[in-house]
Amino acid sequence: MHGRVKVKSTAQQEEEKRKEREKKLKIYVAARDACFSKRKEGICDDEALQITQQLLSSNPDFATLWNYRREILMHLETVRDEDEVQKIYQAELSFLESCLKVNPKSYGSWHHRGWVSTRLPRPDWARELGLCDRCLSLDDRNFHCWDYRRMVVKMSGVPVDQELAFTDRLIGSNFSNYSSWHYRSTLLPLLHPESPEPHSPCREPRRASSPPSPQTHSHRVCEEQLLKEYELVQNAFFTDPNDQSAWFYYRWLLGRAEREEMISCVYVSRDEERVAVAFSRPVNAQSVGLLLVLDGQPQRVEWRSVHPRFKHSPVWICDLPPGTISDVTNEHNLTVHWTEKHTHRDCALYTGDAHESWCRDSATDQELFRSELSVEKTSVLQSELQSCNQLQELEPLNKWCLLTIILLMRALDPLGYEKETLAHFQTLKEVDSMRSAYYSDLCSKFMIENTILKMEYAEVRVFSISDKNVTTLCHLDQLLLVTHINLSSNQLQRLPPQFAMLQCLEVLEADNNSIENLEGVFHLPKLEEVHLKNNKISTLADLQPLASCPKLKRLDLRGNPVTQTANIESELTELLPSVTDLQL
Amino acid sequence: MAAEELPSEFDVVILGTGLAESVVAAAFSRVGQRVLHLDRRSYYAANWASFTFNALLTWIQEHHEESQPEEVQDWSSLLEEGEELIYLLNRDSASITNLQVFCYASEEDEEEEAPDTTGEDQGGDDEVKETPETESTDSKKEEKKQKPEETTAGEEEEEVQASQTEGEEPTTAAGQSQSEPTRKKISFAHLVKEGRRFNIDLVSKLMYSRGSLVDLLIKSNVSRYAEFKNVTRILTYRGGKVEQVPCSRADVFASRQLSVVEKRKLMRFLTSCVEETEEQRAYNGRPYLEFLCDQQLGDNLQHFLLHSIAMVTEDTPTEEGLASTRHFLRSLGRYGNTPFLFPVYGLGEIPQCFCRMCAVFGGIYCLRHSVSCLLLDKDTNRCKAVIDSRGQRISCSHFVVEDGFIGADWKREATPTRFLSRAVLITDRSILPSDSDQQVSMVTVPPIAAGCPAVKMVELCPSTMTCMPGTYLVHLTCQSAGSAYHDLSPVVTRMFRTPESHDQESSPTLLWCLYFNMADGSGLEGEGHDLPNNVYLCSGPDAGLGHEHAVRQAQAIFQKILPDEEFCPPAPNPEDIVYDGENNSSSTPGDGETLEGEKEKEETLEGEVEKEEKVEGEVEKEEKMEGEVEKEE
Repeated sequence: MHGRVKVKSTAQQEEEKRKEREKKLKIYVAARDACFSKRKEGICDDEALQITQQLLSSNPDFATLWNYRREILMHLETVRDEDEVQKIYQAELSFLESCLKVNPKSYGSWHHRGWVSTRLPRPDWARELGLCDRCLSLDDRNFHCWDYRRMVVKMSGVPVDQELAFTDRLIGSNFSNYSSWHYRSTLLPLLHPESPEPHSPCREPRRASSPPSPQTHSHRVCEEQLLKEYELVQNAFFTDPNDQSAWFYYRWLLGRAEREEMISCVYVSRDEERVAVAFSRPVNAQSVGLLLVLDGQPQRVEWRSVHPRFKHSPVWICDLPPGTISDVTNEHNLTVHWTEKHTHRDCALYTGDAHESWCRDSATDQELFRSELSVEKTSVLQSELQSCNQLQELEPLNKWCLLTIILLMRALDPLGYEKETLAHFQTLKEVDSMRSAYYSDLCSKFMIENTILKMEYAEVRVFSISDKNVTTLCHLDQLLLVTHINLSSNQLQRLPPQFAMLQCLEVLEADNNSIENLEGVFHLPKLEEVHLKNNKISTLADLQPLASCPKLKRLDLRGNPVTQTANIESELTELLPSVTDLQL
Repeated sequence: MAAEELPSEFDVVILGTGLAESVVAAAFSRVGQRVLHLDRRSYYAANWASFTFNALLTWIQEHHEESQPEEVQDWSSLLEEGEELIYLLNRDSASITNLQVFCYASEEDEEEEAPDTTGEDQGGDDEVKETPETESTDSKKEEKKQKPEETTAGEEEEEVQASQTEGEEPTTAAGQSQSEPTRKKISFAHLVKEGRRFNIDLVSKLMYSRGSLVDLLIKSNVSRYAEFKNVTRILTYRGGKVEQVPCSRADVFASRQLSVVEKRKLMRFLTSCVEETEEQRAYNGRPYLEFLCDQQLGDNLQHFLLHSIAMVTEDTPTEEGLASTRHFLRSLGRYGNTPFLFPVYGLGEIPQCFCRMCAVFGGIYCLRHSVSCLLLDKDTNRCKAVIDSRGQRISCSHFVVEDGFIGADWKREATPTRFLSRAVLITDRSILPSDSDQQVSMVTVPPIAAGCPAVKMVELCPSTMTCMPGTYLVHLTCQSAGSAYHDLSPVVTRMFRTPESHDQESSPTLLWCLYFNMADGSGLEGEGHDLPNNVYLCSGPDAGLGHEHAVRQAQAIFQKILPDEEFCPPAPNPEDIVYDGENNSSSTPGDGETLEGEKEKEETLEGEVEKEEKVEGEVEKEEKMEGEVEKEE
């Protein structure tokens, strides 16, 4: 057909492209080699600058070349005057801009830009900020740019309120943006701190530049601002309840009050001449400056964790020198000092029948489990729960909503909402079956917390949580004083090393589980009875930890595979000589 | 081009440069057809055109002047054996009617805000009350003769009136002038002076981001000839107020007028709409409004969904309402927070872009050049050739024509076509001021009273390059019930401050305003005529917001003529085009050197093809050689 536009055949095009590529590669390799040899010779001249520029503009991820370039620039700094240096670095910035246009997520380019910006004699931070904003408007998830922007903000001291407005803008255009939400969470405590502070950060923009360390600064936000944030984030998750970023921010808002660091319990046993100490968080007692004072005399003791697997543990034990407290006619005063934190706890051991003594703060006293999610004002939480319930009515199968409702209920009244919580967990496991194990574990945790609360209200040392589908054990440090534990008819697969924190345990009931591992039944000085009917203990070796419990007398292993082993009875007698009542 | 003779043979002759015709032209030219594209008018794009303010005034004037009675020239001398003549209309007089212009801006520049201005307002008031009456009573011809001078005549009258009324109501006048003392008023002279900054579309449409026009522009690479802006927001007029319609996720999130529960309901409805469900099918044939009601969305959302997102009426069937909702949603988010794009410099750019593509591939263009009649072969009932307005006989295989050039007696449907009512307003500020003064807004105005039409309104800001800085250009469109003035002026007086509407302090002030009716092209289908079967009709603009109708029509015509060719394939990159010069460099001397005319040209082209084949042969040889070299190695 005539008159038709002729287009080169694809084979022809391919061939041309191939040749073009080859030519390019040749030039590239030659330039690279030239560059390397120059660097070897330590030449830092303009030509080297030019060759690296040529190479980097086609491949900005060549870290060695950036390094060489920095060497050259640092050399030039020493031989040129300030104005010239300023010019060189400005040219560098515009070169970098062209590199970023080619690859906006190049590590090398962004890092070099940061380096150049700090060395620029007269930096133009406003321009840099503008660049970041432009970059983020093209791709609001470019974390390289976010990093660089943080540096720019820090260097130029942008007021915090302006930065908050910046996150407003980004969230407004697309709220699926973790970076913006997270940035908000760092800005709000500065701008609207929980308690009135001597200097307002708004008036002192410099403060924004040094983010206070988490240890020294509260992460909480004042209530008035908090309410505004709730509204904002609710708009987000009502608009799109399947977007995680808003929900995560919401959880941050609902807050995790930091727990005071303290010694929560000191327990002394006269019989074993042993002291057990529980801390509010796992510590390494050997290095935190723990001091035991008995009747005014500092004692030289060896602290050990309850299980050799733990270097950090919330519970530590030590043996007193033999004879120090064994005499029941003597009264003793014991103090444990946590010198690092300037805190201590006393415990008195009275005369008479007292074989043991303790001093502690209970979980109920500390509102331990509520603090994981707590805003001071219950009414605020209540209204948050209402709006989440409203959303749940509209979106009955939304997992984020269900999970948040559960958390809110726990914060409000863990025991009162127990039934609803369990029902919601059931729904969660159905709608998000991929994470059903996670939900089971979380549910177990909450059930254990509730059981601890109930136990403490009842003022007993018996912990019973049978037939509750418990899949995992936690908060075991809270069970230091428990003498009788009933875990029957759950779905436990193991008694983990943390179980060794139950230093007062005498009776362990764990029938009808799927336990195959007893690692945590380890050096429990008072343990006498162990009921493990219908579990999955299959080898003699699995029972080995029991051998470390000196007082074990009764052991029920009926319905375990291990009972099928040949010579099981004689083997067990050999392994556990103290056991007198063995059921197989 | 003026004196030159045109080539006497083409594959396709196209008359009229409206959108459909231009797309057809580009499509044919692109696949190597010889295209002659003519328009009787002095400008491109027919009723799709955009005008500067001054050009629009001229256009108005032209439409007022009745042309001289058509001289029907007798071309029968050009007839050959077995041929018959079909005369085309000389001008398209029927498509634009009921033109009415109102100018509220003062005639001359005023440096200061003085009581004078308010007097002007009062005067304007009188003018408006008067003019429509006279026009409606006057016979058409009279009106048209009077019209061209109307604005100035009106102003003179106004000045006289002003001096009269000034004394009568001094208190209100003073009050009005104080309410806005600092605003510099834009005068009519100013509009004329800055007239070149306007690009006023005759037809008001938007491009759906995933509509067929955008797809076509991208596919064909024609998009490279134009620039586009996002429509930045969707507004609606409700209960006397202009509100923003939250339609994108970001809008819904940011909306202050919706409760969180409404937000959830809206988002859920919008997501559930995308897929057709059993539940939706159950409502087929029943009104969309009923379906919406049963979704328990509440009044707010129902209004938004019906009027602003689906843009349908209360009795539109559900399946249709859902289809247009889906169309809206599919287009959302492709380029921005609304589904629409608008071409910078106005919609008139689009047909011109296609014309350019046609010209790049060899199409020939003549404006102010028409076709007087068609030559019909009686035996085959095919149009063999056309006779242009200069009396040249041009043979062609196909003839595509804007339907306005075809006499009513050739059309099968004798009923008068439907009309669109249009209004073009120049205002001094946005209908919903916001942080940014560069908003492009699509405004849906539901029927303001029972029986009134739903009005689609587009407000353009100066950055669209369609109006001068400090003004906004507002287009109103609806299906005609009566004249454009009758249909649209109630909406205009409600939403804008004219001397008629006293209580609208916060509304934008109307500076200038044009009403007219335009024939609705949606009624016409390609088949509805008794013309020879190689003659194809293209209709003018339709009432739809998008361009689907015109693109569909163009594609249908193309595929009927060339069913095996691709419709507007991507234009090749310039560097991939093999120019004749390249291949021809070693051309044999004397080949076609002294020869002129079509036939000879064709021969040379054929020669080239042969040569190409030879070259290919050589390449093959070269490859063989290379193979040999490899063997040797």
